[in-house]
Amino acid sequence: MASTTPSDELPLGTSPQWEGMHRKIRKVCYVLLFGLVIEGALTFPLLAIWYGVPKLTPIEVCSELQKVMYSDGTRKCASHPLNSPPLGGPAEARGQTTAQDTWGVQPKPGYNPVGFRQLVENKERREKANAKDLKKDDGR
Amino acid sequence: MNEQDRQKRRALIILQVVIYGYLALMIAIQLRLWSQRHW
Amino acid sequence: MAITTLSGGGGRRLDEHTDESKAAQREADKWMISGVILMGTAVLGVFGLPLFLWGLRLQIRAQKNGLSVRPVIVTLIGYMVMLDAALNTFGWAIDLMASHTFAARIFLPTWGNMFDGGYFWHYNELAVGGAGAPGEKAWEVLGIFIVFPMRIAACIGFLQMKRWGHQWMVVTCWTGCLMWMGYVANMTMYADIRFTGVVFPVIGWWLYDIFYITPFVAIPYLHTVNREIFSD
Repeated sequence: MASTTPSDELPLGTSPQWEGMHRKIRKVCYVLLFGLVIEGALTFPLLAIWYGVPKLTPIEVCSELQKVMYSDGTRKCASHPLNSPPLGGPAEARGQTTAQDTWGVQPKPGYNPVGFRQLVENKERREKANAKDLKKDDGR
Repeated sequence: MNEQDRQKRRALIILQVVIYGYLALMIAIQLRLWSQRHW
Repeated sequence: MAITTLSGGGGRRLDEHTDESKAAQREADKWMISGVILMGTAVLGVFGLPLFLWGLRLQIRAQKNGLSVRPVIVTLIGYMVMLDAALNTFGWAIDLMASHTFAARIFLPTWGNMFDGGYFWHYNELAVGGAGAPGEKAWEVLGIFIVFPMRIAACIGFLQMKRWGHQWMVVTCWTGCLMWMGYVANMTMYADIRFTGVVFPVIGWWLYDIFYITPFVAIPYLHTVNREIFSD
């Protein structure tokens, strides 16, 4: 291994003609590193706030999103035993019939985007509505 | 810089252009689809 | 390293230098590995970053003091590519192998609803569970069981300045390019599923995922670094 004195400008392994490129790569690595960490840290808070935490608990958010996912006001996020996919047992939504899609070789979903804290409104609206109307509900 | 290094630098630049060009192409296609289909 | 002195003292000084360098590198790596492990969980990443940066600082300081430590860029690329693999594996492993847990269903379809409908559309309707987007499970299997383990192994060898580590990094960074290009093409093919009804379509996903281009960035370095610095 070549010895480097503290006054050496070039890092080990970098010949002069590649010095500029290596320096740029090093800087980009720092940008990517900070980017990855910051977005990793911000993701959960962002998702939580957008989807209604803390007014909704995370499990309620899960349930509300499933209602949107399958356009079915009765869907809930329930616990599953260890014998669930992929280890065995039926998939949670196996045999569902309520999802709104335009089917074809490139299917197109039928749900609309969820607005800021809209899930809270959905839940409150549903709680006021007649229980009979739940299945007709589009999940909103 | 010798000839081999020059060729190498050119090849690496072409690689970056191709890769990021591919990604830019995909972004452009997706944006165009978005404008047409109003997701 | 050339030993110019004829006396036994020169050999002893070399040994001391080597030992001191190894110890300094190991100390720095302890902090950096801890940092990367935490950052690899995404949610604990902010706690990992200071640990990692502290380890990096120790290494740079050792280098300034004349010790023979790994070049900074090798350290950065090695740990970044490892972090990239860890983060990808984390998310995909949860989708493939823990899709019916509360953790998976609270995090993945929620993220999917905001950025990538592939993780929202018909979630947990597939027999194997998890994201139902066409092709997605295939990419997950390829990533979790083949590409990312190879990438992590390559990083370990690369960080140890081994020749095979450098070679494996070249291979796995190129496979990283393949993964990117294939995965994005699949998304575009089924763009309706991926982006309909999503809060931040297209732009959201790209802004989020652009930080995973570490393999692209590493390739030019791997092909221009002097391979002699990687030994057996």
